[in-house]
Amino acid sequence: MKPQLTPMARGLAVCAGVLLVVGVTDAALHDLLAQNPFGAPRSPQAAQPEAGGLIGWLLAKQSEFYRQMSATIRAAKSDGSAVWTLLFISFAYGIFHAAGPGHGKAVIASYLVANRETARRGIVLSFASALMQSLVAILIVGISAWVLNATAKTMCKAEGAIEIASYALIALFGLRLVWVKGRTFIRALQAVQAVPAIAGVPHDHHDLGHHHHDAHDHHGHDHAQAHHHHEHDHVHDEHCGHSHGPTPSELAGPGGWGRGFAAILTVGIRPCSGAILVLVFALAQGLFWAGIAATLLMGLGTAITVAAIAVVAVSAKDIAARLSAGRDGGGALFMRGIEFAAAGVVLLFGAGLLLGYVAAERTTCF
Amino acid sequence: MGMRALFGLLLAVALSLAAGAAQAHPHVWITATSELLYAEDGTITGVRHAWTFDDMFSAYAVQGLESKAKGAYTREELGSLAQTNVESLKEYAYFTFARADGKKERFQEPVDYFLDYKDTVLTLHFTLPLKNPVKSRQLVLEVFDRSFFIDFQMAKDNPVKLVGAPAGCQMKLDRPSDGTASAQKLNEQTFMNGENSNFGMMFANKITVDCP
Repeated sequence: MKPQLTPMARGLAVCAGVLLVVGVTDAALHDLLAQNPFGAPRSPQAAQPEAGGLIGWLLAKQSEFYRQMSATIRAAKSDGSAVWTLLFISFAYGIFHAAGPGHGKAVIASYLVANRETARRGIVLSFASALMQSLVAILIVGISAWVLNATAKTMCKAEGAIEIASYALIALFGLRLVWVKGRTFIRALQAVQAVPAIAGVPHDHHDLGHHHHDAHDHHGHDHAQAHHHHEHDHVHDEHCGHSHGPTPSELAGPGGWGRGFAAILTVGIRPCSGAILVLVFALAQGLFWAGIAATLLMGLGTAITVAAIAVVAVSAKDIAARLSAGRDGGGALFMRGIEFAAAGVVLLFGAGLLLGYVAAERTTCF
Repeated sequence: MGMRALFGLLLAVALSLAAGAAQAHPHVWITATSELLYAEDGTITGVRHAWTFDDMFSAYAVQGLESKAKGAYTREELGSLAQTNVESLKEYAYFTFARADGKKERFQEPVDYFLDYKDTVLTLHFTLPLKNPVKSRQLVLEVFDRSFFIDFQMAKDNPVKLVGAPAGCQMKLDRPSDGTASAQKLNEQTFMNGENSNFGMMFANKITVDCP
C-alpha cells in the first residue's frame, strides 16, 4: 500500500488551503481598502487601485470611442448613415468599458463560482444583466428628462439613489450567499472531521444527509454504490465519491432561474453614467431614438465581455473541482470552501462599495 | 489534492478580485485655463479658473433648464446651475491642490463665479481665494480628479497666466501627455512614493511657479 496521510491530516491540509485562499482574498481586499487613507466615503481621496499598461490602454480606447459619440450623434442629425457609425462606436465602447474592472463583473463571477453555476448560465446572466442595465438607463432618462423635463441635478440625484440601492443589494445578496455557503461549508468541515471518529463504520446516513442539499436523488444513489464498492477499501476513499458537483441539468432545475434573477437585478439595476450622458445628449439633439439604440448596443458589447469573463471564472473553478475531486477525500470540503470564499467576496464588495471603501465609478453631480 | 488544483482555485478567486478592482474612466472632459492672482507685494492670493466642459456633459448639465431663446442660455439663466456647481465642487476640494514651498495650502469658498454657454459648451468661471495668502519661492498647483471621472486638460493656448506676479517669476506647466501614456507610467515607483501617490495624480496638470 502506498503511503497515505490520515484523513485528519488531509482534512487539515485542505483547511489550510482554504484559509490560504481566504487569506489571499482578504489581503487583496485590504489592499483595495487601504487605497483610501482617510476612509471617508466619496472623498476626493477615494483613490483608484492600480492601473497597468493593459488597463491604461483600455482606458484610452474607451475614452476614444466615448468621445467620438457626441460628434457622431450630431452628424446623425443631418446624415442618416452616421447612425451606423454611432452603433458601431457604442458597441465597441461597451466591449472596452466592460473589459476594464468594474463591480458588476466581480459580482457575477463570484456568484457563479459560489453557486456552482454552468458557463451557459453565466452567459445568460451576463446578457440579462447588461440588458437590464441598458433598460434602466433608458427608463431614467426617458421618464425624468423626456417626460418630466427634469434638470440634470434631479436626474443625478436619482442616479445617486439608485447607486446606493444597488450597493446595498450587492451587500444583501452577498450576505445571503455567505449564509447559505457558510452552512454548507461547515457541514462539509464536520463531515471531514467526523471521519476518524467513525473510521471503519459505514456512514451512509451522515454523508447522504449532507448530499441531499446539493444534488438530487440519483446522485446520492450513485454515491451509495460507490460507497459499496469502496467499503472494503480505504475509509478515506469513500469521500472521493462525494466531491462531484451536480450536473448542469440539475442546476437549471426548478427555482434555478429564480435564483439567477437576484444576480441580474443586483448587477443590472445600476445604469452606467456613460449611457445616461449619451441618452441626454441624444435627447437634446432631438435624436432620442439614436441614444436608445446606442445604449442597447453598449449593453450588447458589455454583455459579450462580461460573458467571456464569466466563462473563464466558471472554467477555472471546474478545473479546480476536477483536479481536487479524484485525488483526495477533502476535495468536497475544498470546493465548498471556495464557494464560501466567493460568497464572502460578494459581501465584501457590497459592503465596501456601500461604505465608500472600494472606489467605484461614482456618480459625480455638479 | 494537487498544487494544480490549488492554482486553479487561486486563479478563480484572483480573477474575480481583479475584475472587482473598481476603476473609473473619464465621463467628463474639462479644458481649463487658470490665472494665478498676485497682490502688489508679491503674495499669491488665489486662483481664477475657467473650465470648459465637453459638449456631451454641457448638454446634460443644461437639460431641463428654462431659457428664453431655445438653445441659448444667458448668464442669469445659468445662475442657479453655477451655484450648484461651485457648491458641489467643495466636496472634491475644487480639484485644485496647492503647495507653497512644499506646504499644503487651502482655499476658501469660490467667489465671482458664473457659467456661460457658447457654441453648445458651458464654461464655469470661478475664483478660489487662498485661505492664507502666501509669499513663496515656489508654488505648485495641481488640477486633477483623483478618481479620474473628470479628465482635466489645460488649454492649448495660454493655459496659465500669472496676474500681477513679481518680475522674474518663472512658470512651468507639466501636462499629462495623454491617457495612455500617463496610465502606462504607473509602475512600482508610483506606489512607493508614499501617501501622495495615487492613480489620478497620473492625470494631473502641474503648474510650478518659481520666484526669485
